[in-house]
Amino acid sequence: MIEPSTHLRDKYALVGAGHSRLGKVPGVSAQGLLEEAMLNALVDAGLTTQEVDGLICRGPDEIYTFHQVMGERLGIDASFSTTLTNGGASQVMGVALAAMAIDAGMASCVLVGYGRDNWSRVHANKENHMRGSGRPQQMYGMEFGPEFGYYGAIAAHGFGAQRHMHDYGTTREQFGEISLAFRKYALNNPDAVMKKPLTMEDYLAGRMIVEPFGLFDCSLQTDGAGAVVVTSTERAKDLRQKPVLVKGFGTGNNISGWFNDDNMTHTGAIQAGKTAYAMAGVSPSDIDYAQIYDCFTYMVLVQLEDYGFCQKGEGGAFVASGALDLNGVMPTNTSGGQLSEAHVEGMLQVVEGVRQLQGIYGPERQVPNAEIGLVSGHGGNTVCESTLILGTA
Amino acid sequence: MMSDDYAKAIPVPGPESVPFWEGAKNHRLMIQNCNTCGHHWFPPSTVCTGCGSRDIEWVASSGKGKVFSFVVFHRLYHKGWEGEVPYVVGIIELEEGARMLSNVIDIPVGDVICDMSVEVVFEDATDELTLPKFKPV
Repeated sequence: MIEPSTHLRDKYALVGAGHSRLGKVPGVSAQGLLEEAMLNALVDAGLTTQEVDGLICRGPDEIYTFHQVMGERLGIDASFSTTLTNGGASQVMGVALAAMAIDAGMASCVLVGYGRDNWSRVHANKENHMRGSGRPQQMYGMEFGPEFGYYGAIAAHGFGAQRHMHDYGTTREQFGEISLAFRKYALNNPDAVMKKPLTMEDYLAGRMIVEPFGLFDCSLQTDGAGAVVVTSTERAKDLRQKPVLVKGFGTGNNISGWFNDDNMTHTGAIQAGKTAYAMAGVSPSDIDYAQIYDCFTYMVLVQLEDYGFCQKGEGGAFVASGALDLNGVMPTNTSGGQLSEAHVEGMLQVVEGVRQLQGIYGPERQVPNAEIGLVSGHGGNTVCESTLILGTA
Repeated sequence: MMSDDYAKAIPVPGPESVPFWEGAKNHRLMIQNCNTCGHHWFPPSTVCTGCGSRDIEWVASSGKGKVFSFVVFHRLYHKGWEGEVPYVVGIIELEEGARMLSNVIDIPVGDVICDMSVEVVFEDATDELTLPKFKPV
């Protein structure tokens, strides 16, 4: 049992957010895309690279000490800098680590970002395309998987979906409701990759990839990057944007394994959420919107349960009730998410979480009267979770 | 079959998993057992994943268990599986408690369900490699 430090609550703020071009962006590296997003975030904040003294980032995982590559390219010497390696949970965790680093006096203004050139890599050669991955195969392990034809994150998450269907009667149509809800948001986001409406008929007609997941259960293969700037709430007063406060954060890592116990139906979000709520001093009913890591539809459903927005096992009925829509009880992934906007491993969820509280959107996308939002990151070997609770000043 | 003719991925055992692959070659399904707490687990490590004890040993599983969960690969990810899609990859929970990944075979793909009883069968893939797979009881 841990007790998070509530003294961090509201003390640190996100003062700028930015993203790069998204989708198919040939001829630009992950580093180049991340520079684009980081500079956009700094412009949003009214800051320059010269004021940054902390750099927390992630890029293609086989690049050694990625933050040093970025520091060199941006001309930043940092008193605090590191590369995170927690998969899709890294990006939300980066914001938490930035707040901790500033609190410890290690830095005062931290850039947090993630960039990938995944579309370009997957389409670079036949072998990558067949594996559906831009990462070297060696990164996935060389035994207890490939010899049984087990490849990719889709199958790992599919095990969880299948077990959830077995234990709670969850259906593919309910997974489909998640795809449909996010697609509606994407149609109101000019930067989103997916531009066409999606119906339940389309969803069910999508070709099976790894059952129980079909085409529309899977997030997009995209190039893109996102970044945010973290500093003290005190300093934020003089900056360009209305600050978005870090109310609380938490992490939960079921690193004994996805196959262990009931980890695939009771995820790290349970622990991460509990910690974040305690630090923020709020409960699930206080949350006005959620930006949930959506690598596959099922992960949205199970995280909604694990964050306490509905009971365990009732995620299917919850998503089918219209809860995720802008006028629903929990507007979720209001930019279209990784299923329909672009897949930047949760960094765009952070960016969208910030922008909702900056209040920059028109009525087609703005969550009305949004004051508190939850952002989730999920990944690693499917078992790591990071949570951020943001609020208005 | 010589491994040169084998089109699927050949596992590269880590130092700790050699007893598992040697056991498979002799048609024994090897898992690890803790002499301190009686916990069984897989994949291999050098300490008990139940209690942290170093007093551990390799033992042969009964090879009986059930399908904890499974997926069906419809898309081809590796040329070695050409002509074999759709195929089933399952997480098998052995009766000793350890869980391992393998293929569920000898059953129509649409008939596999969670918690169904299965038992190990050994598939001699090459002269050097035997894969433990699972079929319905």
